[in-house]
Amino acid sequence: MAISYWRRRDRYYRLLGNRCTQCNSEYYPPAYLCRRCGSESLVDVEMPTTGQILTYTILREVMSGFEGQQPIVIGIVQLDNGVKVLGQIVDTPLDALKIGCRVRLVFRKIRDESNVGQIYYGYKFTALC
Amino acid sequence: MARVIISSVGYTRVGDHWDKSILDLAVEAARKALKPYPNIRPEVIIVGNMFSSQSSKQEHLGALLASALNLTGTPAFKVEAACASGGVAFNVAYSKVRSGEVSSALVVGVEKMRDLDVSEASLALSMAESAEYTQFMGASFLSLNGMLARLYMETYNVSRSELSAFPAIAHTNAATAEHAQFRKAISVEDVSRSPLVSDPLRLLDCAPLGDGAAALLLTSEEFNGDDESMVEVLSSKISTDIFSIYERDDMLRFNATKDAASKAFSEAGISVEDVDVLEVHDAFSVSAALSVEAMGFSKEGEGAKDAARGLYALKGRYPALTFGGLKGRGHPVGATGLYQIAELWLQLKGRGNVNQVEGCRIGVAQNIGGVDTTSVVSVLARR
Repeated sequence: MAISYWRRRDRYYRLLGNRCTQCNSEYYPPAYLCRRCGSESLVDVEMPTTGQILTYTILREVMSGFEGQQPIVIGIVQLDNGVKVLGQIVDTPLDALKIGCRVRLVFRKIRDESNVGQIYYGYKFTALC
Repeated sequence: MARVIISSVGYTRVGDHWDKSILDLAVEAARKALKPYPNIRPEVIIVGNMFSSQSSKQEHLGALLASALNLTGTPAFKVEAACASGGVAFNVAYSKVRSGEVSSALVVGVEKMRDLDVSEASLALSMAESAEYTQFMGASFLSLNGMLARLYMETYNVSRSELSAFPAIAHTNAATAEHAQFRKAISVEDVSRSPLVSDPLRLLDCAPLGDGAAALLLTSEEFNGDDESMVEVLSSKISTDIFSIYERDDMLRFNATKDAASKAFSEAGISVEDVDVLEVHDAFSVSAALSVEAMGFSKEGEGAKDAARGLYALKGRYPALTFGGLKGRGHPVGATGLYQIAELWLQLKGRGNVNQVEGCRIGVAQNIGGVDTTSVVSVLARR
C-alpha cells in the first residue's frame, strides 16, 4: 500500500491530471489515451481547485481502514474546467450540503494505519456555501 | 454452431452458511446440477467468483472444484468480473458449447461473504471500483450508489416511495421462494422508513451480504432429445463502459447494459415486448431502475415510477425479480448471475410454484459488475 501511494503522490497532493495535446481535453484521473480523439499524446496538468457539487452522499457504514471516521461525506465535484472528481467533502455542516454548492480543494489526511504506521494524505473538498 | 441447452440447475439457499466453506458450497451446488445426468462428464468447468482471495484466502477455484468432484483432467478455471462474475462465467461456458469446442460445460458461481465482517466485505466489494481514485478516498461501492440515487431522484423528480418499489417487489416474491435469503414481505413504507446507510439510500434499498452457490449444466442439443420442455440459451452478450461513473459524460446512463441488451436481443431475434420474465441486477433500488431503463422496458427516468405502478410485479407486464432478486433472494456476488439464470430456468420449465409466471416463453437476465461497468445480458427460451 505504501508503494502504490507513493507512486501517485503528485496526483493525490496536487490533483495532477492530464491534457490531450491534440484536442485539449482534460482528465482526472489521468487518461492513458484521450477518450475523445484517441491521441496518445497527453501531458500532466494541475486541475483547477474550485468547482461545484454534482451529487453527494453521507456514508454511515465505512470500509475497513476508515473506522472511526463515520459519517463520511463523499461527493462528485465538477471542477471549473468541466472535469469530474470524486472526493470527501469536509468542514461542512451536513444540513448545508446541496447539489450545486461551490467547493474548493483542500489538503488533508485521508487515513492512517495505526499509531506507528503509514499516514495517507490527499485532496478533499470544502463547501463554500 | 451448436444449440445450447440448460440441462439442469443446482443451488444452495442464500444466507449465513456458518458451517460451510466456499468449497462446501460450490460442491453442493455442482452435485445438484450434475445429479440428473450421471452419464454426462462435463468437458469444462468454469467457476464465477469475485473475492475468494479476500473471504477465504483461497484462489485456484477451478482445479479445487474439479478435484473435489473427481473430475481431474477436466479443464477448470475461475472467471472474475466483480459482481458480474457469475454472468460472465455463464457467457464463457455458453460460448464454449455454442462454438462446438465442448458438448457439455459445468458452470458454478460461488461467494463466501459472511466470513468477513461488514467493513471488510465493504472493502472487498470496493475492489470492483478504482483502488487508486475511488477506494483510496474512502468511497465504498455503497457510497457510489448513494450518490447515483441522489442524482437520479433529483434529475427525474423521483419520490422516496417510488424508489422503494423495487425492494418491495423483490421481498414480496422472496417471501414464497424456497432458496431466498429473506422469506419475508416488506412494504414500500418499510423501505422508506429503514435506517439511512448512504443517503438517500436506506438499508432496505440495498442487497444484503450472504453466502451461496449456483450451478448449471450446459449441453449441446443432442444430449437432450428426450426432454419435452428444453430451455435453450438464445444469446448472451457482455459489454463494458468507461470504468468509473465520474469519468462518464452522463452518470445516469447504463451504457454497458444498453449495449449488451441491444446485441443480445438482436441476436435472439426478440424485442422488448417479447420478454415474459426478467431478472435484473437490483443490488440497489437505483440500479434496478437504471437497468430496466437501459434495456428499454421503461423510458428514461421512469424505471422506479413504473415499478411503483406495478409494471414489474409478478402479475405485471414484465414480471421481474421473480424469486426475490438480489435484494430478497440475496446477492452472493460471484453466484448472483447464475442464480438469475437458474431462476429463469425454473420459470421457463414451469417449476416456479407460487412464483410461477404463467405461460412464460422468453426470459432475460441482466447481471452487472461495478456501476454498470461490466454488463451481461442473456436471453433464454422454452423450446
